[in-house]
Amino acid sequence: MVRHVAALARLRVPEEDLPALTHQLARILSYIDQLKEIRQEPRREPQMTATPLRDDVGVAGHGREALEANSPSLLHDHGAVPRVVGGAKP
Amino acid sequence: MTTAPAPAATVVSTAEAVSSRRCSAGEVVEDALAAIEEKDRDLHAFLEVTARQAREEAREVDLRVAAGEKLALAGVPFVIKDNMWIAGRTTTCASRILEGYRPPGDGTAIARLRKEGAVFVGRANMDEFAMGSSTENSSAGPTRNPWDTSRIPGGSSGGSAAAVASGMAPAGLGSDTGGSIRQPAACCGIVGFKPTYGRVSRYGLVAFASSLDQIGPLTGNVADAARVYRVLAGHDPMDSTTSAEPVGDPEAALDRGVKGLRVGILAEAQVEGLDPEVSADLARARRLFKEAGAQVREVSIPRAPAAIAIYYVVASAEASSNLARFDGVRYGPRRDDSSLLSLYVESRTAGFGPEVKRRILLGTFALSAGYYDAYYGRAMRARELLLEDFEDAFEGVDVIACPTIPAPAFRLGEKVDDPLTMYLSDVFTVPASLAGLPAISVPSALSRDGLPLGIQILAPRFAEETLFAAARAFERAAEFPPLAR
Repeated sequence: MVRHVAALARLRVPEEDLPALTHQLARILSYIDQLKEIRQEPRREPQMTATPLRDDVGVAGHGREALEANSPSLLHDHGAVPRVVGGAKP
Repeated sequence: MTTAPAPAATVVSTAEAVSSRRCSAGEVVEDALAAIEEKDRDLHAFLEVTARQAREEAREVDLRVAAGEKLALAGVPFVIKDNMWIAGRTTTCASRILEGYRPPGDGTAIARLRKEGAVFVGRANMDEFAMGSSTENSSAGPTRNPWDTSRIPGGSSGGSAAAVASGMAPAGLGSDTGGSIRQPAACCGIVGFKPTYGRVSRYGLVAFASSLDQIGPLTGNVADAARVYRVLAGHDPMDSTTSAEPVGDPEAALDRGVKGLRVGILAEAQVEGLDPEVSADLARARRLFKEAGAQVREVSIPRAPAAIAIYYVVASAEASSNLARFDGVRYGPRRDDSSLLSLYVESRTAGFGPEVKRRILLGTFALSAGYYDAYYGRAMRARELLLEDFEDAFEGVDVIACPTIPAPAFRLGEKVDDPLTMYLSDVFTVPASLAGLPAISVPSALSRDGLPLGIQILAPRFAEETLFAAARAFERAAEFPPLAR
């Protein structure tokens, strides 16, 4: 189960960490299981209030330099990220 | 220009001294940097001291004051939890996965402080991505409690709390998702305030659990918290969850007193097994409120004991979603890009620490097919019931008081291998987070071992003025002895 969830979360759990992690997560989940004892239904359905939208007008951003500062590499003035289609490394 | 106030001076007194040119922002920042130099070796509250930028900012403030600008935070040194954007500094959330990340500019909270003359002396240590209650989950190592360096400062805003408590800066910013401002404030004997959900913009705060995260101040006293909050609060077009509800005048409300105020003492806090000193401290708080003229009664939040269980489903689920963006493509160090999947898996596995991984796994599980309704759905219904409990309770009382922490600060390393026990440190702070209520921790007394205890006061949504009046009255009555700085 932990392996399956780790795969969904895009994490790798080393074999040697599995027993301890499984034990910790099982304890946390059994604590969370106390929620099963709450049988009462709320007066209203839980819902997030609607998110208001801001006016659709352009505002100045932080500028190109600020964005480029985080790009691992620049290629022809564009941020370059690893190739994600086609599989192989460029 | 005569004597500069020591950095142990308050936010309000520093701002007044600089505004009236009794001292310069430059002198104030030098004092703060000297205090950091002297004290941070033992405490490790800072991930980075940004002396050069702080000096530049102080110079700028002095020019603005000389030009006649009125600034609410003129020259006040701030320490900022490292999950908020400050222009020209890195933001790492104390995580390897954000190593070297440079935000594109100031977040809204920082921009508002800057506009009022604040100076940023450094980035404060924290639990990685704000996940923890002890600041031990930092990739840079733990922060220590200034009252007793063998103990934790609380968390996750432990660096900000330790810095303020030890007099390295008069104020800090923290973020509070389940108690991460209030709990470290209580452990370190200072004031920590979480505003109503929606009061303070999170633009430029790295998200942990978006339905809970809120930015707030850590300060030496209640009046300072009100001053900082006044500057931070208000609608921001860059964060559509911020409210347009008027902020009012929290500073003017400070001296209203509590005569006739209906103060509810949380019945569920008086449970068997509660630390006897914490229990006695709550009994004292009840007496002090009564003596100050409040109408004190018991109030029940029947679902409060379930809050930790609700929280660890909701917060972890939201975290698993928010932290999906850290995948080795856009941020931080990149590992094994031989395939897209290995790039994701290896970058995340190397970049996140154990507690962050634990919560991502828990949240992913709670949202996964076949378990969603049994965990996330059930937790959301229970959260709604908790909200209704508070609605009902606030029909009979104006504020609710309870302890902030179930016991004084524990020893470093004591709970690192036992995440569930660590989670239970937040038992009194999580309910206000789930309900989106404003809540403040005020230092109340010292334990037999000389460690701070805190009383927490909660108010209905957007009732910050009432909250500050109650907190100030309690602070006055409690006469907590601050750490000799």
